[in-house]
Amino acid sequence: MVKSLSKRIGNAVILLLAVLVLNFTLIHIAPGDPVEVLAGEMGGATPELLAELRADFGLDQPFHVQLFTYLGNVLQGNLGYSFYYDKPVTELIFDRIGATLLLVITALLFALFVGTALGIASAQKRNSLLSNVVTLLSLAGFSAPVFWIGIMLILLLSVALPIFPIAGMATADEPEGNFAYILDVVWHLVLPALTLASIYLAFYSRLSRASMLEVLESDYIRTARAKGLSRFLVVYKHALRNAVLPVVTFAGLQFAQVISGAVLVETVFAWPGLGTLAFESILRRDSPTLLGILFFSAVLVLVVNIVVDIAYRIIDPRISAK
Amino acid sequence: MQAPLLSVRDLEVSFQIGGSDVPVVRDLSFDVEHGETLGIVGESGCGKSMTALAIMGLVPNPPGRISKGSILLEGIDITTASEKDLQALRGNDMSMVFQEPMTSLNPVFTVGEQIAETARAHFGLSRAEARNKAIEILRLVGIPSPEKRVDDYPHQLSGGMRQRVMIAISLVCEPKLLIADEPTTALDVTVQAQIFDLFRELQEKTKTAIILITHDIGVVAEMADRVMVMYAGRNIEKGPAIDFIRAPQHPYTRGLISCIPTLQADPPDEPDALFEIPGVVPSAVELAKPGCAFAPRCPNVIDRCKVEFPPSTQIENNRSVSCWLAQEETV
Repeated sequence: MVKSLSKRIGNAVILLLAVLVLNFTLIHIAPGDPVEVLAGEMGGATPELLAELRADFGLDQPFHVQLFTYLGNVLQGNLGYSFYYDKPVTELIFDRIGATLLLVITALLFALFVGTALGIASAQKRNSLLSNVVTLLSLAGFSAPVFWIGIMLILLLSVALPIFPIAGMATADEPEGNFAYILDVVWHLVLPALTLASIYLAFYSRLSRASMLEVLESDYIRTARAKGLSRFLVVYKHALRNAVLPVVTFAGLQFAQVISGAVLVETVFAWPGLGTLAFESILRRDSPTLLGILFFSAVLVLVVNIVVDIAYRIIDPRISAK
Repeated sequence: MQAPLLSVRDLEVSFQIGGSDVPVVRDLSFDVEHGETLGIVGESGCGKSMTALAIMGLVPNPPGRISKGSILLEGIDITTASEKDLQALRGNDMSMVFQEPMTSLNPVFTVGEQIAETARAHFGLSRAEARNKAIEILRLVGIPSPEKRVDDYPHQLSGGMRQRVMIAISLVCEPKLLIADEPTTALDVTVQAQIFDLFRELQEKTKTAIILITHDIGVVAEMADRVMVMYAGRNIEKGPAIDFIRAPQHPYTRGLISCIPTLQADPPDEPDALFEIPGVVPSAVELAKPGCAFAPRCPNVIDRCKVEFPPSTQIENNRSVSCWLAQEETV
């Protein structure tokens, strides 16, 4: 366990380096000059000022020098400086990452638990009403674009029926007290989390339904029934643990997708997280910030993958043996 | 005389195939006495395993169901019992060992847990008591150092060991009836012998009746008191095991016995070709036709076989056979 874990972590570090080099190269190739954008925002500048700015940011250096300077800085924990926000990138990211994690983790956990529960319940009775409703909903969740679902939810539950706030993470005139603040954030969280969860909810309910149906046909389920165990034990003890394995695998693999989905959802709901920051930094050619966000996303994905790996070993004893 | 432990009457199990009900087991009647071993013999697909599942109340439904007849286990009718009553019977009064030890155990639980949960479900034992019971029964089925093995997962055990665990699960509540469905098919020959020794030993201790389903005539000769031969969902011959080997009556049974290869050849340096019954087992759909299902493959077929199924005829003590030829001989 410890050995394979340290191997995984070693691989992750190498992968991160590769991600850094690749991202840096891609952004360097992409059109757009940050200095010109900056100049535009300032209302125009002389060519001398532009050259001075370039020299300040090191943008006049050859590509490989820039790359190695950047890698060296990252290894020292310095992700660079955002000339647009006029702040260190690390500080920018740490200001925002909490909001994104709150959104992503809430959505993912909601999708995982509710999706699996729906899938398992609908697998019990193949042609029941519940089963058909789940199939229909998951088809809808699959096919609808996530931003569209977000906008529809806003129209329905914020505009037509003003139950939830339209955007943001907290009310402007912050309510007094910690508890009230938490409640306020949760109230703002409902719609974005639901939107982000919708697509994965659909996916996990389909996946767990199919997996459950397959597991229920297996020999060891027949054995469990032949022992005289109750229906409850057969389904929720013997079948469930085997049926969630593919769901856990996919949850790990899809974590990267959930983060990219968060960019859209955050933009729709003006959620002050990394997604909106990434979106803004692309528009502003703020490459240090963008690179920093991409780097953090990669770290997150790798960490989640390792966590999933550990969860997998706990659920299925066969894996730790190999 | 004591009432039989298990009494199956006119059992019919049907499967929905392409919108119509196709019987895979038909007109099946037999008894199992307390403590005896009944061998059920037949080719793959003849309905042996489905009979076993019907007794356990585990016919996969849909598409299958028990469409006719009764199965009485000590007076309780399995075919009409509620799921709750069946749960109380399964694993407790009757239990089953399956063919595939590699896939019949749940991969994510320790073998100890899989044995112990049966004891907990039926005897209401505490976790600690059930665990001790599991260790005890693992020792009984011949697993070395059971205190350690009890915490092993199935994948850590060999096929033979896993089948011992399956047997342990089936015996932990000391059932009155044990159904073993080809318990050694997936195992190699030496392990096979050990498993059967184990069955015999345990039967002496617990007086459990065994239904042994197999297509291995040698196993039947060694283990069974009585034998029932099935062909295409029907019982075609039934009687004491010894008679079944020495003087098979039905042409199909004779064919089965002739298929056993012998070590003596005549002449000695020119071994005979292996005997086989010509033709293949008919599919369930073909069986809807009237007449004896074995007729197309039978060396002694007469015209009557093709139109009418022969009723079971009593010949001598406790033997019966479903064949027109036997019927003519006795009349």
